[in-house]
Amino acid sequence: MNSFKRDKKEEEDGGSQFLNLEKTTVLQEARIFNETSVNPRKCTPVLTKLLYAINQGETLSPKEATDVFFAMTKLFQSKDAVLRRMVYLGIKELSSIAEDVIIVTSSLTKDMTGKEDTYRAAAIRALCSITDATMLQAIERYMKQAIVDRNPAVSSAALVSSLHMSKLAPDVVKRWVNEAQEAVNSDNIMVQYHALGLLYHIRKSDRLAVTKLVARLTRMSLKSPYAVCMLIRITAKLLEEDDEAGGNDSPYFSFIESCLRHKSEMVVYEAAHAIVNLKRTTSRELVPALSVLQLFCGSAKATLRFAAVRTLNQVAISHPAAVTACNLDLENLITDSNRSIATLAITTLLKTGAESSVDRLMKQIATFVSEISDEFKVIVVQAIRALALKFPRKHNVLMNFLSAMLRDEGGLEYKASIADTIITIIEDNPEAKESGLAHLCEFIEDCEHVSLAVRILHLLGKEGPKTKQPSRYIRFIYNRVILECPSIRAAAVSAMAQFGASCPDLLENIQVLLARCQMDSDDEVRDRATYYSNILARQDKALCNSYILDPLQLSIMALERSLKEYLQNPEDRPFDIKSVPLASVPTPEEKEMKHKTEGMLVTQGGPVKPPPVSREENFAEKLSIIPGIQQLGPLFKSSDVVELTESETEYFVRCIKHSFNNHLVLQFDCLNTLSDQLLEQVRVQLEPSEGYRLLAEVPCPRLPYNESGSCYAVLQFPEDDLPNSVGTFGAVLKFVVKDCDPATGLPDTDEGYDDEYMLEDLEITLGDQIRRVTRANWAAAWEEAATAEYAEMEDTYSLSSMHTLEEAVQSIASFLGLQPAERTDRVPEGKTVHTLLLSGMFRGGADILVRAKLALTDGVTMQLTVRSPDPAIAELITSAVG
Amino acid sequence: MVFVLVTIETRLYRHECYACFWFTANVPEFGTMGIFQKLVQFLGVRKREVNVLVVGLNNSGKSTVVNRFKNQDERVTEIVPTVGFAVERFQNQNLAFTAFDMSGHGRYRDLWEHYYKDCNGIIFVIDSSDRLRLVVVKEELDLLLQHPDICNRRLPILFFANKMDCKEALSSVKIAAALGLDKIMDKPWHISASNALTGEGLQEGVEWMTQQIRDIILAKGS
Repeated sequence: MNSFKRDKKEEEDGGSQFLNLEKTTVLQEARIFNETSVNPRKCTPVLTKLLYAINQGETLSPKEATDVFFAMTKLFQSKDAVLRRMVYLGIKELSSIAEDVIIVTSSLTKDMTGKEDTYRAAAIRALCSITDATMLQAIERYMKQAIVDRNPAVSSAALVSSLHMSKLAPDVVKRWVNEAQEAVNSDNIMVQYHALGLLYHIRKSDRLAVTKLVARLTRMSLKSPYAVCMLIRITAKLLEEDDEAGGNDSPYFSFIESCLRHKSEMVVYEAAHAIVNLKRTTSRELVPALSVLQLFCGSAKATLRFAAVRTLNQVAISHPAAVTACNLDLENLITDSNRSIATLAITTLLKTGAESSVDRLMKQIATFVSEISDEFKVIVVQAIRALALKFPRKHNVLMNFLSAMLRDEGGLEYKASIADTIITIIEDNPEAKESGLAHLCEFIEDCEHVSLAVRILHLLGKEGPKTKQPSRYIRFIYNRVILECPSIRAAAVSAMAQFGASCPDLLENIQVLLARCQMDSDDEVRDRATYYSNILARQDKALCNSYILDPLQLSIMALERSLKEYLQNPEDRPFDIKSVPLASVPTPEEKEMKHKTEGMLVTQGGPVKPPPVSREENFAEKLSIIPGIQQLGPLFKSSDVVELTESETEYFVRCIKHSFNNHLVLQFDCLNTLSDQLLEQVRVQLEPSEGYRLLAEVPCPRLPYNESGSCYAVLQFPEDDLPNSVGTFGAVLKFVVKDCDPATGLPDTDEGYDDEYMLEDLEITLGDQIRRVTRANWAAAWEEAATAEYAEMEDTYSLSSMHTLEEAVQSIASFLGLQPAERTDRVPEGKTVHTLLLSGMFRGGADILVRAKLALTDGVTMQLTVRSPDPAIAELITSAVG
Repeated sequence: MVFVLVTIETRLYRHECYACFWFTANVPEFGTMGIFQKLVQFLGVRKREVNVLVVGLNNSGKSTVVNRFKNQDERVTEIVPTVGFAVERFQNQNLAFTAFDMSGHGRYRDLWEHYYKDCNGIIFVIDSSDRLRLVVVKEELDLLLQHPDICNRRLPILFFANKMDCKEALSSVKIAAALGLDKIMDKPWHISASNALTGEGLQEGVEWMTQQIRDIILAKGS
């Protein structure tokens, strides 16, 4: 009562005692804990202050924490309930910093088994925070009792704590499965939910056990809606993993479907959500789930409406047709007072709607777009992007709308997403290019985001020269030179140079503008202007191509590293730019990922990822352990992982092929899956094909159970004999086996015996020796190759196994390991003729340009033209395809 | 006169001066206390609270001893090895004891010292049937007596030569000799043979302890 009065007084002071807390003062005050008889009224506020200070980010040293922790342990002599609960909080807070925290184990076990119910649950949680794996066995008995305790708070606390403990000591917690089993039958909804959570966690690695669990629980009706939701999730996961379960006959699916008729809304939603998100759900199975969601759309509760419309929004991507049934309800939600719901409703409609309704919907959006937050605006923009890809003919309406949005106020992320969308539309739809570029030009006139302006200027430089009237963009670009900050000016100079290089009739004017830029106040701008002006003045097509239109393709990070190394170890010879690895081309999977997130509600926010290090650089670091590897020069290309065994065999071996200029390094990643064997001196014996020379082997000294190790083989490519560089190697895994005790992993004897294991043959392909290179201006490079007297080889093939052009394009690009240029990897629909343009670089640094003219007849007929400085390479490529 | 002294001490030397320490503890609400309470306190009618530390090797019977001191209805039937420590309360005559029952396991003995500072007495329990580890007991006892928080204070130490019912048990005299108790000059000590299972010998020991603490408090108080 008394303390209550004090609280009131503090409130009037505005809680000032917690402002400006000093760690040292609080620790000083905490000495009051050491007094012989504890005064709860004084100790409780001190403890509160201590916890407050810690949570405000004050850090205690281990010494300070230990001192105050031990002082706190003395508070156990007080019977005051408030103080005791503060002590529990204190223990949990300090348990990770202080030493010897196990000192309170007995005190806590006493509380947890005691008569005072208010202490018990909190004591369990505190106890589990101080317990480590070795101590857990000592309290195991109490935990087991607590799990099946009659008091729901105690039981729940024990279950959740067990879940946390299972990270430390999974084996011990596994033994509590019977108690958890019993707790599942509890009448309390929370206990049942937590028990199911623990039970699933214990068993989740054992598929059979999970199946049994689900089978048993789906038959008995669980009382707790939370537990049912959990069960639905488990079941859905099971369904997802298990493709053979077979259609809607599966008992799992019928369970989830039956949950659609549950009396709790939470469960109904969870079931609908699960059905909708199952990968293999067909539109017929969707119907009941969607009708439930449709019902929710009309609910009086805003949360239910939000949940329903959000889920519908997601389904609209995978099953647009199915959602059409809900269109009427969604229309009603457009005017919903909750803006989040309205936005989701409208974007869903945009995804499902017909072409005819686009205009009307866009008008609707325009009415409230200014009222919603940036985050939702981004969703709207993404919906528009999806729409533009779906209905290319509507680009006019959409483009106008986007440019109107661009002119509004908004953060960088929002503006960037609009610019992204416009750029996507331009790239995808040639008709929209001119108007899109015009909108972007207008936008940079008044754009406060430097990074965006730079990007748009770069795009203008790339796309502008190819339009009908390139001259109209020059004014916009030159305006930037007059008005903006240095980085934008520099980008504008580069963009102008692009025009100069590609449009001869504009060259004269560009030179005048560049001459003016040479008077700029900024170094970078002046440097660029001088550089471009000089190159353009030479009137040399090849020079323009390689230094303006198609600049360096190097990995920037690698370039930085190489230059640093060069500066640190000064040498007489000049820096060799060829030693720098090329920039890696984003793999199809990465592009896929980007594509997948399009139109999803959740955009990948959060911290910006550091620029990815290329695979080659990662491997280069790993390979540096091989003695003498430096002599081989820089790593040219690392292949994808090739499996040389089935994944479930005794020894699992995978290979990565690293090509250098004249050498091939094979990296074998081995995994020993036999618990009773220790392998030593593991190596792969190769039978190289003709021409290859085996230079060195690096065995893996020890390979214990369930650990993976790598061994290496270094080979030299056949000299002056390119055709033989494509070949097949026989491979055998050789090693010394020592039998050992599965439990300890220690070998029984020192003597081992030799053994070997046959591996699948390893193929060295053409693709292993070629790196993908992106060419911004393929045509220019191709022309240049003709004039620079590159070797040209041409041949015609009939690819009888291919039935579509897409298939052919995919397989050619991946077989040759070349990068498609100028979007020729996308085959327009309905065409029977297509030209695929590819570029790459052979090991040693020779360029490769390939043009493949494809025609669809019965199979696919291909005319392949290869240009490369080295005739042998060109020949190798044409012969490899055959 | 005493009261004046105490107020000064609480402000300045609370942690250095043990002479006044018990007073600050016994008289928690000193400044706000009414005249009646002061009177009660002075006459010793109100219960005094003291802390005692219960130490000894593992399996010597510390928790069992403490369990015996508690009221009949509060006792636990089953004693398990203590991990860390446990706080127990009991009364003897007019003194309210708070016993810190420390774990005797080797791993936790280093933690005893955290509780030396603010105790008013020490109960040291010895398993008198465990001849083998008597040297360990001596070692631990010497460490305890040399600790800076103990060595300069006049703390009463009560030894229980526990498990006297065992056949091979040593007598309390032999244990006192083996531990060299006669060399402890600056602290009052007492050894009594006990059997914590039946309670034999415990009462005698704790009464000695109560008397000693009372004497020390009175001596400081006057």
